[in-house]
Amino acid sequence: MDLFPHFPIHLNSLTVFGLTLLLGLIGGEIAKRLYFLPIISGYIAIGFAVGPGGFNIVNPSVLAIAHIFVEISLSLVLFELGRHLNFRWLYRDYGLLFTAITESSLTFAAIFSLVHWYIGLAWLQSALAGTIAIATSPAVVMMVAHDLSSEGPVTRRTLILTSLNNLFALVIFTLLLPLVQADHLPLSTKVAHAVYRLSGSVFLGFMIFLLAEVVAYLTGKNKQNQFVLFVSLVMLAIGLSYIFNLSSMLMLFTLGIAARNFDYKHLLMEIDFEWLARVFFILLFVATGVHLKLHGLLAITIPILFFILVRGAAKTISIFLFSHLSNLTQKQSLAISFALSPMAGVAIGMSNILADFNPDFGHRLLLIITGVLTVLNILGPIATQIAFVKTGETAIDRE
Amino acid sequence: MNQFIFKNNNELTIGVELELQLINLQSFNLAMEAKDFLRRLSKADCPGEIKPEITQSMIEINSSVHISYSSLLAELRSIRNVIAAEAAKTHIGICGGGAHPFQKWKVQRIFQTKRFENISEQYGYLAKQFTVFGQHIHIACRNGDDALYICHAMARYIPHFIALSAASPFSQGVDTSFDCSRLTVVSAFPLSGTPPWLLTWSEFEDYFQRALTLGIIKSMKDFYWDIRPKPEYGTVELRICDMPLTIEKSAELAAFAQLLVHWLLKSRPALSKDIYLTYLVNRFRASRYGLDAEIIDPITNEHVSLAADIIQICQMLEEDSHLFNSAEALKKIQAAAMTRDNGAKWLREHYKNLRSLDNTVRAQAELWENS
Repeated sequence: MDLFPHFPIHLNSLTVFGLTLLLGLIGGEIAKRLYFLPIISGYIAIGFAVGPGGFNIVNPSVLAIAHIFVEISLSLVLFELGRHLNFRWLYRDYGLLFTAITESSLTFAAIFSLVHWYIGLAWLQSALAGTIAIATSPAVVMMVAHDLSSEGPVTRRTLILTSLNNLFALVIFTLLLPLVQADHLPLSTKVAHAVYRLSGSVFLGFMIFLLAEVVAYLTGKNKQNQFVLFVSLVMLAIGLSYIFNLSSMLMLFTLGIAARNFDYKHLLMEIDFEWLARVFFILLFVATGVHLKLHGLLAITIPILFFILVRGAAKTISIFLFSHLSNLTQKQSLAISFALSPMAGVAIGMSNILADFNPDFGHRLLLIITGVLTVLNILGPIATQIAFVKTGETAIDRE
Repeated sequence: MNQFIFKNNNELTIGVELELQLINLQSFNLAMEAKDFLRRLSKADCPGEIKPEITQSMIEINSSVHISYSSLLAELRSIRNVIAAEAAKTHIGICGGGAHPFQKWKVQRIFQTKRFENISEQYGYLAKQFTVFGQHIHIACRNGDDALYICHAMARYIPHFIALSAASPFSQGVDTSFDCSRLTVVSAFPLSGTPPWLLTWSEFEDYFQRALTLGIIKSMKDFYWDIRPKPEYGTVELRICDMPLTIEKSAELAAFAQLLVHWLLKSRPALSKDIYLTYLVNRFRASRYGLDAEIIDPITNEHVSLAADIIQICQMLEEDSHLFNSAEALKKIQAAAMTRDNGAKWLREHYKNLRSLDNTVRAQAELWENS
């Protein structure tokens, strides 16, 4: 039995985990004092500084212990995102629905064309790039809105459009993914797998919603109870997704959508995960920073630049195209286009899943997506912040 | 002094100002949407006038001038329909009620106009706490002297209007045990209360001029009295009511006020300064107990059931109700007094059944939009 520590001291994972969180907190506070920078940019910068691209104190494998926390935070984001998708609003403002459909399809088509014809990747890789480009980062939009206490028509529309573009991206991605699998499997098996993943995730997500209804009915409308209820359900969903090989993201998204639209007896409450979410989100964004790779970025600068410009243009055009139907001003439309620019952190998840499925296939795509994500993780939160501040929807002025 | 020339009105017309809550349909908290919503409404074909209020989660609708209850009700219904349709398109809710049950005043934001910014500067946190919602009723008067007579003669009936309109039992997330919690917010302002005991317009002009010279006020708007003359409109403005839960109730209260003023001007009961001996106690009791309150009449030295008094007044006013097409409104006011029904009772019952304040606000919004 060792009574004294051995030298040199090796940091264990939990220590690194705690330190990461602490540094993230400090990074956020520094960003807060630099008025143009969103707080989450501070978390990302700290992640980058301590990661392999910086001082190499924390590498992705050391962060593995935080993996489950990062997954829980992503799941909470997806659940919250689903709750922003209100069918009633889409029914009453069809301009919003048209905008969402056009925004997702145009982004997909534009990025597909760019990646296929300009960058020269195969059609399936290009389709996956297009799919990943559709989704706006819900975590960034939600956190920037939360940190600035942003409320109003632009914030609400940004959230529902983010919700819709993530829904489209998740569904298309889930359908495309089996096609990426190694070729020895027959097509029928691949199709069956795609259908299984999609319908299974939606079905199980809905079942979890029904469970939530029953438990909420029994425990009553009480914030403490419902807080525990939702956290348990999120964990349950993640666990079940592993057991049944389903998409936890789609499952939680379904849970959120069902909670918003099918809770006819209004048994479920709005829960602010507040402190818990803050811990998870610091980890999420620090982890994002750790994964940033500036190395090699220069070599693919032009494709990355085109990718970002084409994506931004596709989203902006779609929003302006139907803004008159939703009675939006030009300023509001421009702000929404800006606010939608962060690309989904989920994209990292998507690309990783891709690499797991077929490492050879994912590599080239991963290179470009990682590059785009790196740039958008730096510029996206700032764009979202500018959008909310300039439309006067924030309580805290951070210009 | 232009604002002090009392506009003479020959007809006993009425008009209302209604302050409405803008609701976020996700959280059912107040929504900071006034600026955008007013822009949307400015493009809609809507009668009356729609204005901002002190914080960004409030709007105010003003009716036109009406001689009868029925025309006022018709106009309010069409304003309500336009507002509800526009609110649906941008996915916010609209509520009646004197206070939002669980909004936190500290997160409210002042609507950016010079006047509201001045109020915020002058009154500090009181300005944000002023996120409460009232109904103001304007009743036309022939001249300033009549207006001052009505201001004091109506003092006896202020509790009646408080109890009938009371719709703010919940505030800052708790049941206040009051039927009308809104008035405690208004009472915090130094220029709230009652108009001074002045009975002629020339005396009142001197008083106003002195307040102006002393820098106490900048205009009549700075007096937050329960009832005040409004010389530029040629009206008396009754400011005591909570915003009711429905447009229909708003119109009924206005009709009741019109009939009461008509009766007061017709029968001219003698004014006595003694009415103010029990004014604050009666005002408190009506806020606290609503239609179950017992008020003290300092003239007759009697304790009177407020509900019974309202019923008796309704019976007294009945014979003139045909003049303003308001017999139906009077019947409804009488029925409300008999069953002791007001907005506070409705809200408490719904909270009991729905077991949450957010669901109560949801029901409240549905009631206002679809009643």
